[in-house]
Amino acid sequence: MIRFIDFSFRYDGMPEDALKHINLEIKDGAFVLLTGRSGCGKSTILRALNGLIPHFYPGRTSGKLLYADRSLLEMNPSETAGIVGTVFQDPRSQFFMTDTTRELAFGCINMGYTREEIIDRVEKAVKELDLETFLNRSIFSLSSGEKQQIAIGSIYALSPDVYIFDEPSANLDHEAIRRLTGILKKLREEGKTVIIADHRYYYLRDLIDCALYIENGQITAEFTREEFCRLDKAYRIQKGLRAVYPEKEIGDGFKKPADKGSNNKKQIFRVEGLSFSYGKGANVLDQISFEAASGDIVGIVGHNGAGKTTLISVLTGILKEKAGGVYYDGKKLSPAKRRKLSYLVMQDADYQLFTASVEEELVLGMTGVDRTLLDDTLDRLALSEYRDRHPASLSEGQKQRVTIGASIMKNSKILYFDEPTSGLDHDSMIRVSGLIKDLSDNGAVIFLVSHDLEFIMNTCTDLLDLDPDQAEMIKEPDIRSIHNYSFRAENS
Amino acid sequence: MSESVREKIMAVSFHGTARLDPRIKLFMLIVLGCISFFINGDIPELMLMLAITAFACAGSAPGWGIRMLVVYLVISYLNTCLKYISVPGISLLMGIFGVTVLKMIPIVTMARWVLKSTYMDELTVALERAGMPRAVIIPFVVMFRYIPTLGIEYRMIRNTMKIRGVSDTIFKALIHPFATIEYILIPLLMRCLKVSDELAASGTTRGMERENKRYCLSETGFGLGEYVTAALFVVYMVVLVILDRSSIGQYVFWRQG
Repeated sequence: MIRFIDFSFRYDGMPEDALKHINLEIKDGAFVLLTGRSGCGKSTILRALNGLIPHFYPGRTSGKLLYADRSLLEMNPSETAGIVGTVFQDPRSQFFMTDTTRELAFGCINMGYTREEIIDRVEKAVKELDLETFLNRSIFSLSSGEKQQIAIGSIYALSPDVYIFDEPSANLDHEAIRRLTGILKKLREEGKTVIIADHRYYYLRDLIDCALYIENGQITAEFTREEFCRLDKAYRIQKGLRAVYPEKEIGDGFKKPADKGSNNKKQIFRVEGLSFSYGKGANVLDQISFEAASGDIVGIVGHNGAGKTTLISVLTGILKEKAGGVYYDGKKLSPAKRRKLSYLVMQDADYQLFTASVEEELVLGMTGVDRTLLDDTLDRLALSEYRDRHPASLSEGQKQRVTIGASIMKNSKILYFDEPTSGLDHDSMIRVSGLIKDLSDNGAVIFLVSHDLEFIMNTCTDLLDLDPDQAEMIKEPDIRSIHNYSFRAENS
Repeated sequence: MSESVREKIMAVSFHGTARLDPRIKLFMLIVLGCISFFINGDIPELMLMLAITAFACAGSAPGWGIRMLVVYLVISYLNTCLKYISVPGISLLMGIFGVTVLKMIPIVTMARWVLKSTYMDELTVALERAGMPRAVIIPFVVMFRYIPTLGIEYRMIRNTMKIRGVSDTIFKALIHPFATIEYILIPLLMRCLKVSDELAASGTTRGMERENKRYCLSETGFGLGEYVTAALFVVYMVVLVILDRSSIGQYVFWRQG
């Protein structure tokens, strides 16, 4: 049993406690969801459990944290490693070995088990979690979902009693989330204690025993599974929580821009017969044709591997098409011209920040600077007070706004967003949605790649579905088409 | 697939000389590096390169070994041609550059082969047995694991730069070389910091810092093969040095009239 007794924690150098007087009891075999706004303290609780606090993240603790009546705080992480296993958010930065089999064995090797025992444990993990097809492969060849499965397998081989997951669904598509749900179900059946912190939790609704709402470092609400699944919508929105049954809220979604016709001269973005393959391989993109107009917000959906990222790379002009063409305002665009007109906001803002101040970042690559536009943009994005700050010192949400600011400065007419809401809580998701709608009101045609159903429903005007053999553009999708998409994902 | 799960776990994908204990490989790499810069004659240098190619071929990497051998021969030829063109100032610089590159080729060939043919867990265990402290082993392993990622990260950054219109053409990159390097390095470093932080957390929670004896998944250790290889290697290096000092070391290839 895990017990927090009047537990408080303050990170070194911070003015306030991150966790305040936490009193919590988690029984063996319980399945607990921790949720709340970004920065509320969910991750801090997880770090206290796996030993990263206070050994990796120094700070001041007070109160007690016990596991089976032993203090977790007094154990160093090397001891905790065999008891508590943690799966982190980003599958790309969790693996140590370049080979999948070695990665599965990594934890066991560290524990000092003999060779025979290591092989036994890895074999069990492979069989129980169905990882046989992933053995002896380069980790770099796996998708995010597959990498995460290996991460879980690596922990499973250690056979800890407690499993901790920190926002595991953030980088996964529906198919991968479905597989994750299967693994979680198995852990639950084996009687393991599972603690998950996440903003998206629709995949957990049949598994959790209880859900804890964390606010400002305190547990302000506790719900049983039934209570959590039946939460009143107004209450949810006030607390910044997402829906437990997002597919049931479809009726409210798909808000169209207030008047699409306000921008009288509408430019048409047309793609005809677009095909692309890497080298001499099979076509990743095959004869894709569709049309969008300025003011449209097109959600690009499809399972991982359907070619969403490739399509974006070709449309933005990073890659050159093998056949077909991209037309804007009647003119065919070469890749170089596409690059000039487009702007891509990547999932990871770190790839897109090059300079030493926010202001410099917004004017990078521009020859003449419109100062009024600059000040205006900073204002709109709530970045005015940060204009001289180094981009690396900002929060993830602020970094993302800086990259969006650069697109406004560049006055790009065609915008692409790659998973803009992964890992964002409800409030931030709504904020990004609002920003994107603003941008489309100004006459840009916008393409979004996202697995976030709620976000798509709140933001998009059209859907481009890459899963069918012939990519399908669904204009002004109705309840049925979204239903089809989400339930296809659920039942695949 | 008749292979059982257990067999798959125990399988190794590199064979022959690749199965040598990592300590021997590292020892050879270091000594090789020194010898490569020490010897001067064309023939001893070529003998060194041929030996490395043979070694790589016997270690499941024939493509790499032979490719680098060809590169070596081409650069060796170009170096010699350079001697016959005389442009003041530049000739000297190019000459020094060319010779340095030539001496680096054997080292790079061997280094990359070691990287690819050595499993990380074997490396960790081998370094541990050699008496290295965890504080040295961990950064070493992280570096090995991060190097392949650098290529991927670099390409992502270049793509963004193209869209932003920052040093997107070769022309622009050449006009502003320092700015270009800065634009590439900053995001690379930021990513590096983030990834290393997350990696450290992930490793710590899986017992990376534990001070206990470790065993790796596949068998390694010092056996007859290692001793024999070490002995042959040392003999070969000594022979190369002696040859270099003798008249054979004076012989020059690619004589141009």
